[in-house]
Amino acid sequence: MGKMFDFGLVFRQIPSLLQYLPVTMELAVISMLVGLILGLLLAIIKIKNVGFLNKIVNFYISVVRGTPILVQLYIAYFGIPMFLRYINTKLGTDYQVADIPGFLYAVAALAINQSAFECEVIRAALQSVDRGQIEAANSLGMTYLQALRRIILPEAIQVALPSLGNSFITLIKSTSLAFTCAVVEMTAQGKIIAGRTYRYFEVYVSLAIIYWVITILIEQLIKFFEKKTALPEQVAIYNPERALAAQEVQAHD
Amino acid sequence: MIEIKDMKKQFHDNVVLDGIDLTIHKGDVIGIIGPSGTGKSTLLRCINRLEVPDEGSITIDGHTYTSKAMKSREVIELRKQTGMVFQRFHLFEKKTALENVMEGLIVVQKKSREEARQIAFEELERVGMLPWINHYPKHLSGGQQQRVAIARALAMKPKLLLLDEPTSALDPELVGEVLDTIRNIAKSGYTMLLVSHEMEFVRKVSNRVIFLDNGHILEDGTPREVFEHPKNERTREFITKMNRLVEADYVI
Ligand SMILES: Nc1ncnc2c1ncn2[C@@H]1O[C@H](COP(=O)(O)OP(=O)(O)OP(=O)(O)O)[C@@H](O)[C@H]1O
Ligand SMILES: [Mg+2]
Repeated sequence: MGKMFDFGLVFRQIPSLLQYLPVTMELAVISMLVGLILGLLLAIIKIKNVGFLNKIVNFYISVVRGTPILVQLYIAYFGIPMFLRYINTKLGTDYQVADIPGFLYAVAALAINQSAFECEVIRAALQSVDRGQIEAANSLGMTYLQALRRIILPEAIQVALPSLGNSFITLIKSTSLAFTCAVVEMTAQGKIIAGRTYRYFEVYVSLAIIYWVITILIEQLIKFFEKKTALPEQVAIYNPERALAAQEVQAHD
Repeated sequence: MIEIKDMKKQFHDNVVLDGIDLTIHKGDVIGIIGPSGTGKSTLLRCINRLEVPDEGSITIDGHTYTSKAMKSREVIELRKQTGMVFQRFHLFEKKTALENVMEGLIVVQKKSREEARQIAFEELERVGMLPWINHYPKHLSGGQQQRVAIARALAMKPKLLLLDEPTSALDPELVGEVLDTIRNIAKSGYTMLLVSHEMEFVRKVSNRVIFLDNGHILEDGTPREVFEHPKNERTREFITKMNRLVEADYVI
């Protein structure tokens, strides 16, 4: 029997866990992006109050928010193949269900879960943009989509950034449940290592440290983006001569 | 020539516009006056379809836009020919003064950045805002914001400029600069509908004044006719009241 707690191992095994960091990050980033796009669509449906679709969206959000992410992952992992096989027999299609990687099921479940939360954040942010600006855009002859892209989103993103950042952090931690879809990411790799060494406690401490550091880094990144998208505090008066001089200096460089 | 025919709008059972007919000639500067809540804003908003009128049509240079069954493409087409200046400016908060003016040129008129920049410079210069082109709306005073908003509308070269109480959200000492700007563009031949409570200004700048009350045009004539010899009792009451307000201002 060795030491009760192998302190050195906690740090020594971090590199072999980090080998699977890319999988964790891919899961998180792809799910986040898909979730954002879905969430934006849902938010627009809710804002535009598209009668029948609106009811479906409300139902979808209610179901997704009302069930644990672990259960959703299992449902995706078992449900989607079942559904595809059913389609194969019904429509005579030929989806190679066995060839679909677990990664896709995990992304599907995480993205759907994410979209339901993102929808509310995005909706609140979109609606925080003053209606007057939208009317001004319309009065110039912009379509809703143009106004959305050029006027509404740039302002809404800044409002939503802190909430979206937090939900991304939550999402990174949720990826540790992707083992349910047979995906080997960091946490799953940790379990595999521990299965060999029987040092379960040490592995979980290593994992805790890694997730914690990632979270801190991402918090910093969000703060950086928040600063970058903020308007400057003050701006210099425009002076045509000085602007011309600056252009010439640039040309000489 | 722009022709508005039988424009109707009601909110629930509140009839705001009850069949407005109005013919606007090129270069007309029409002042629209009337008591609060008579539908002056609603009329302007129905013209560029920020509000959907219940009935009516607008003909601009021979092309008629009928209120019912208007496709979104037509709505855009109509809005491209009209410009709007709002009471509360409504500048794009995340864009500089220059970008505010360039926005419609790039996105709607599909001009190149360089060309849009050129036009924006000219328009901002015209309203005396050249030194502030790199400022964001939050850095500008109300009067400055409104001048940028006017430049933004003018840059699109609208056939009809709609101004809805462009000075009534401004501090008194800032009203003058915006009125001067409007007087200049009126002189340069723009066709405009101007809603305003600044009676003295309306009288000076317009070539035609309309008194709107209860959804109808009660008076339509030269400033002199409407202000000095109103035909209608309601107009007379309104003008007396406004005059008294101005006099009261002087007393204070
Ligand atoms: N979206 C709306 N829903 C319901 N009623 C409205 C709406 N917009 C305007 N109204 C009503 O229509 C009437 C006319 O309003 P409008 O804003 O056109 O008046 P106005 O002549 O511009 O007044 P003011 O001089 O105070 O600006 C008012 O009774 C107002 O309450
Ligand atoms: Mg009004």
